[in-house]
Amino acid sequence: MTVINRTWDRLTLPGKIVFTVVPILLALLIGLVAVIAILGAPIVNVLADNLPIVRFVVAATIVLLMTIPTAFLVGYMELKCIALMNLRIGPDRVGPFGSLMSVVHGLKMLMKEDFTPTGADRIVFTWAPIVVYLASVMTLLVIPFGPGLFGQDLNLGLLYFFGIGGLSVVGMLMAGWASFNKYSLLGGMRAAAQVISYEIPLTLSVVGLILLAGTMSLNQIVLDQSGWFTGWYIWRQPLGALIFFIAATAEANRTPFDLTEADSEIVAGYATEYSGMRFGFFYFAEFVNVFIIAALMVTLFLGGWNAPFPWPWPITLNLDPGGLGIELLILVAVVPLLLTLVFAAPFWIASSRIKGWQALIGGFVLANLFLVGLVATAAYISLDWVAGVFWFMTKTYVFVFILVWMRGTLPRVRVDQLMDFAWKWLLPASLLNLFVTAAAIVVVKG
Amino acid sequence: MTTTTERPSDDPRVKLDRDLGLFEPVPPYPPRTEREAEFYTLGDGQMFINMGPQHPSTHGVLRVVLKLDGEKVVDLDPVLGYLHRGVEKLCENADYHQAICYTDPLEYVSSLFTEWSPVIAFEKLMDVKVPRRAEYIRVLSSELNRIASHALFLGWMALDLGGLTPILWSFIERDEIVDMLAALTGQRMLFNYFRIGGVNGDLNHEFMSRLGDWMSRAAEHIEAGNGLLNENEIFVRRMRGLGTIDQKTALRMVMTGPNLRATGVPFDVRRAHPYSVFPELDFDIPTRQEGDCLARYLLRMDEIKQSLRIIDQCLHQMPDGPIMAKLPRLLRPRPGRAYAAVEGPRGQLSTYAVSDGTDQPFRMRIHDPSFIHLQSVGLMMPGHLVADTMAIMASLDPIMGGVDK
Repeated sequence: MTVINRTWDRLTLPGKIVFTVVPILLALLIGLVAVIAILGAPIVNVLADNLPIVRFVVAATIVLLMTIPTAFLVGYMELKCIALMNLRIGPDRVGPFGSLMSVVHGLKMLMKEDFTPTGADRIVFTWAPIVVYLASVMTLLVIPFGPGLFGQDLNLGLLYFFGIGGLSVVGMLMAGWASFNKYSLLGGMRAAAQVISYEIPLTLSVVGLILLAGTMSLNQIVLDQSGWFTGWYIWRQPLGALIFFIAATAEANRTPFDLTEADSEIVAGYATEYSGMRFGFFYFAEFVNVFIIAALMVTLFLGGWNAPFPWPWPITLNLDPGGLGIELLILVAVVPLLLTLVFAAPFWIASSRIKGWQALIGGFVLANLFLVGLVATAAYISLDWVAGVFWFMTKTYVFVFILVWMRGTLPRVRVDQLMDFAWKWLLPASLLNLFVTAAAIVVVKG
Repeated sequence: MTTTTERPSDDPRVKLDRDLGLFEPVPPYPPRTEREAEFYTLGDGQMFINMGPQHPSTHGVLRVVLKLDGEKVVDLDPVLGYLHRGVEKLCENADYHQAICYTDPLEYVSSLFTEWSPVIAFEKLMDVKVPRRAEYIRVLSSELNRIASHALFLGWMALDLGGLTPILWSFIERDEIVDMLAALTGQRMLFNYFRIGGVNGDLNHEFMSRLGDWMSRAAEHIEAGNGLLNENEIFVRRMRGLGTIDQKTALRMVMTGPNLRATGVPFDVRRAHPYSVFPELDFDIPTRQEGDCLARYLLRMDEIKQSLRIIDQCLHQMPDGPIMAKLPRLLRPRPGRAYAAVEGPRGQLSTYAVSDGTDQPFRMRIHDPSFIHLQSVGLMMPGHLVADTMAIMASLDPIMGGVDK
């Protein structure tokens, strides 16, 4: 025993971690293998019987995990794009062009002290970021990312979306109330007033679209818009799209409606007293919200995952690599080498200052990029969902960029102006939109 | 180890005789004046909120206790003194050259003006005739500093309204000017350049080439930066009619500088009580009638244009000659008193110096415009929202170094 103790004491901290974690993981792995070996067939049977549930669990997990890269990417855009608009350099230390900056931010959040102020209501204080985060993540479940790629095709998808999205205000109020800080309280109250006010024009602005589509299922709405881009709902509902975008910006607390976390007025709003990962969850939720409103805008008004034009001629790739036999092996061995040499040649020829090995590295990188591009093109052509995700993400990130752009350009509105705008302009405009749409439907169809 | 149940005598809780909220801003002593008693009595549905001294957008370390009804400001109590250094007293214990170093950081974004005003006062005490070239260099460098200060103001104004970009755009101009002045004076912020009887160094090549370079594009750049804000609907709507102060009140509250001129009074120390070579220079005094935040903002932009005009004329009229008057090393002015005022970027900045015949000023009094302007905050803010407090504060452009002295 003493020997073990002495050995343990001599280990460094990483060593201690490795010697604890590795045995636990090994034990878990062995247990898993044993369970599968013994109960393999029954488990598969049960899973096969409950396929919808399995599908839902898998989708929920993927969506939950997807928020991490999404938040990182949106956060990086926020840092870099605003920096470039400010004529700054922005993050450039971690990763190429500073692209891993948000990862570092995330790690920093994890390592910071998680602090609860004196006098705070501990339970509510702890749960508030979770509620805010889950409210935004759960809305991702109904968004169709590609043909067949959605968490659940609810026939009440839009209603679900607004219902769950509105839950985030509960979390904000909880945070504002439980923090025991007057700035937090003001932020929470502002959030409540703002989100509830903008919920109304937000919901009313899509009612015209629902009348046109005849369904509230987001998947069905996307399917309705297939074909040429002239079929997108934005051409039939321009006013609705505009109101939706403005109201959704306010709903997600983005500039110029970011009163809830107005740093020059109420420090950080409801997040003032938060630190560490609990603060990180608020930021996660905000970045995911940016992605979500952009995604919903694209889904409802810009054709979702549909390409803006149908492919004018049908392409089918009759690729059957297995049919090549031994030639495939030779190709795999030879083609990358050849490509590297081919791409290295221009470097070699262009400048006598570039050494041979440098040219080879350049060629290797270019060859890899070429091959990746080739594979991606093949996947785009032959796989529906790849094309769908490509178009969906492209359109969505255009809107994310617009939101970031607004943040870099616009100052903030005042509380009374915000309310005036919601009740005196957006609400009548959305009602007008609804009325005109309904009248047009009656005239055309009736 | 011994444990004691008694509280140590420095525990602040020992002396409290009433139960205060954990972070209530109410001072722990009984009210000293009627006003204080009235202010610290909360009405129905009202609450106090401490804005500052560590709020992200108070300029410096100003603490404002706001009495709020919802988000509406009912009353406020600015608490000063977090940056108090006792500059006036320090100056009285230093000789005349050293005193300038102490006044330098008063307005730390426009240090040349806080140097200039005591320097003129001391020169009056000593009957020094400053060479004309030195006067022109003073005007040139201080107008550059005025532009730098106003550029910072424009950026801050936008930042306090939630715009992220303008401050960085205006910092480009400010950095260029500050680098230029660093080439001239050797420092970026606290220049310590003006001396009694002249200036520290002559114009050098680096300064002139940088200045020429910058002047060719300055007007264009400042226009471009302001295009971001001037036609921005949100910005203009928030600023118009905000923190309005009329002419009479502004005069009664002894406002000076851009804040007074924004109410329509064309008072500028450079024209009203001319000093240095300003009588020889041709420039306008821009005024506006509205007296609100937007007027104060736009007026400062007009002032930048006038400053550019002055710099241009200085460069054309700059005479040759010495930059320093002949003075003994140890200055002992005759007993007497002198007063000098300059037009700083925030308003009239004046110094009153009394000499008793020794090499140290017997008494020095510095009148700082930021302090004077802060007292009218109490007239402007009540009735506006929390969000506007920062905008009003920014539009008055106080520098806490000067307020607390």
